[in-house]
Amino acid sequence: MRRKDWLGVLGFIAKLILGLLFISPLLVGLVFSFVPSRLLNNLPDLETVLGNLTLENYKWIMGYIPIFRFLGNSFVVCAVIIVVQVILSSFAAYAFSFFRFRGSKILFQIILIAMMIPAEVTVIANYLTIQSMNLVNTYAGLCAISLLSGTSIFMMRQSYMQIPRELKEASLVDGCSDMRFLFRIAMPLTVPAIASLAIFLFISAYNMYFWPMLVAQNTDKQTIQIGMAMLVGTENVEYGHVLAGAMLSIVIPVAAFIIGQDYLIKGMTSGAVKG
Amino acid sequence: MRKKRKQKPLPYLLLLPMVILFGLFTFYPFIRSIYLTFFITDPLGNPSSFVGFSNFERVFTDEGFVKSLVSTIKFAAMVGIGTFSVAIVLALLCMHPRRGSKIYQTMYALPIAVASVPVSALASYILSKYGILNQLLGIDIGWFSTEQTALIACAAVTIWSSVGTSFIFLLVGFRNVPEDLLECSRLDGAGPIRRVLNVVLPLASPQVFFVIFLNIVNSFKAFAIIKLLTQKGPNDSTNILVYAIYSNAFLRGRFETACVYSLVLCALIFLVTRVQLLCEKRMVYYQ
Repeated sequence: MRRKDWLGVLGFIAKLILGLLFISPLLVGLVFSFVPSRLLNNLPDLETVLGNLTLENYKWIMGYIPIFRFLGNSFVVCAVIIVVQVILSSFAAYAFSFFRFRGSKILFQIILIAMMIPAEVTVIANYLTIQSMNLVNTYAGLCAISLLSGTSIFMMRQSYMQIPRELKEASLVDGCSDMRFLFRIAMPLTVPAIASLAIFLFISAYNMYFWPMLVAQNTDKQTIQIGMAMLVGTENVEYGHVLAGAMLSIVIPVAAFIIGQDYLIKGMTSGAVKG
Repeated sequence: MRKKRKQKPLPYLLLLPMVILFGLFTFYPFIRSIYLTFFITDPLGNPSSFVGFSNFERVFTDEGFVKSLVSTIKFAAMVGIGTFSVAIVLALLCMHPRRGSKIYQTMYALPIAVASVPVSALASYILSKYGILNQLLGIDIGWFSTEQTALIACAAVTIWSSVGTSFIFLLVGFRNVPEDLLECSRLDGAGPIRRVLNVVLPLASPQVFFVIFLNIVNSFKAFAIIKLLTQKGPNDSTNILVYAIYSNAFLRGRFETACVYSLVLCALIFLVTRVQLLCEKRMVYYQ
């Protein structure tokens, strides 16, 4: 028994070290974001790093880059996308799992086909649409193409199918209307699924790059990813600033991930694979 | 269903937003992309003159296109194999939940939360000519500016950022393998490697296939990493299709060429999903 305990502890330490090694790019970035850029062009030794720790890079970012504006824009976009997707995918899931109606099969096929067309393929034509609607550089344009996705509908449908049919019949008998059932009974029952979906959508919307890069052309609408990408692309790049910017941009999603990982994992893996 | 019952309008109303949104931002742009490939477009993306199939002819005979297609496939192969190999090792290590396993499990999955932009920012520092990796190895390769290494370096960065998701899917699959089956095979004298190959992998085959194909398809979409780290260079060696779509449409204003590239990308993704379905039908064991 003793020997087994020791092996367990050793295994734990080995896996922990492997984990630290795996996230070492993040750790390196975190430590060196507190080191002045001029020291980063050669690998500084530990003493130089510890002797020169400074908030200079972060101060520069706060002073010269409208980072709070970028973060604010990201939050507006995330909030709109999360609220609209949760509501609309609940609507769709409710319709498909509690009603029988003509054309339901075809409508369901529409989701499957839509999921097969990747966003990268439609991005050009979508940009042209947004441009012709005069929505370039607006929040509406930023959110427009992400207001609903097949994945969310599937995630919600998974949990709507678990609500017993009898519940609906009983509430109908008690005089509860269809919409009242949705808002008062079904949606509260699916709160765990909504939480999974919300975290999933938050991380993916916060991390969007391609679409916001095309649509948000001025600082007043640019999201955090676009703002941080501008730091990477400059000439005479100041790595201290780049790393500090990267760290500021990942704090929130990493925190959201660590707090909500159980929900996220459940949501990600529930609908995707049969088995 | 009973026919007498009146059709309620409610389900249609509930699905109306879905139909409008998919119609407007998925089906309409898809059809418009196809339509535009038959025209020469003006700088605003409106069709100006009909040219039939000559856009396809021009693109398919262009060396740059072939090179782009080859890079895309090489990139997909590297990302697919690399991510799967790393993720499966990590998932096997975490297969049995133990005290404290949540700590390292969270570390292995953490890249899920890190977007391509900060990943590229970190990579641009760590892999730069005078960056940490070269200093540690005592060499001075410009990983992103050398033609031979640029695509590999981009693939390595993509692999790091996609391992987390694959790890989670594989872990869920592995943990679903019944403990008593593993115990039985252990008593029958199967060593750890045999147990993984003959018990765990077949039982988790839905997740295994899903992960392999997910990474291939996601590698086709690795736009941010290419845009920020190499901008298709050096000598177009990292000009994967998704970047070619962007550069044709938004840097050169050739929307019709970009649409042809889009359709090729779409066909490629479609092909991969077909192969996935075929493989699943033949080889996946569902419990």
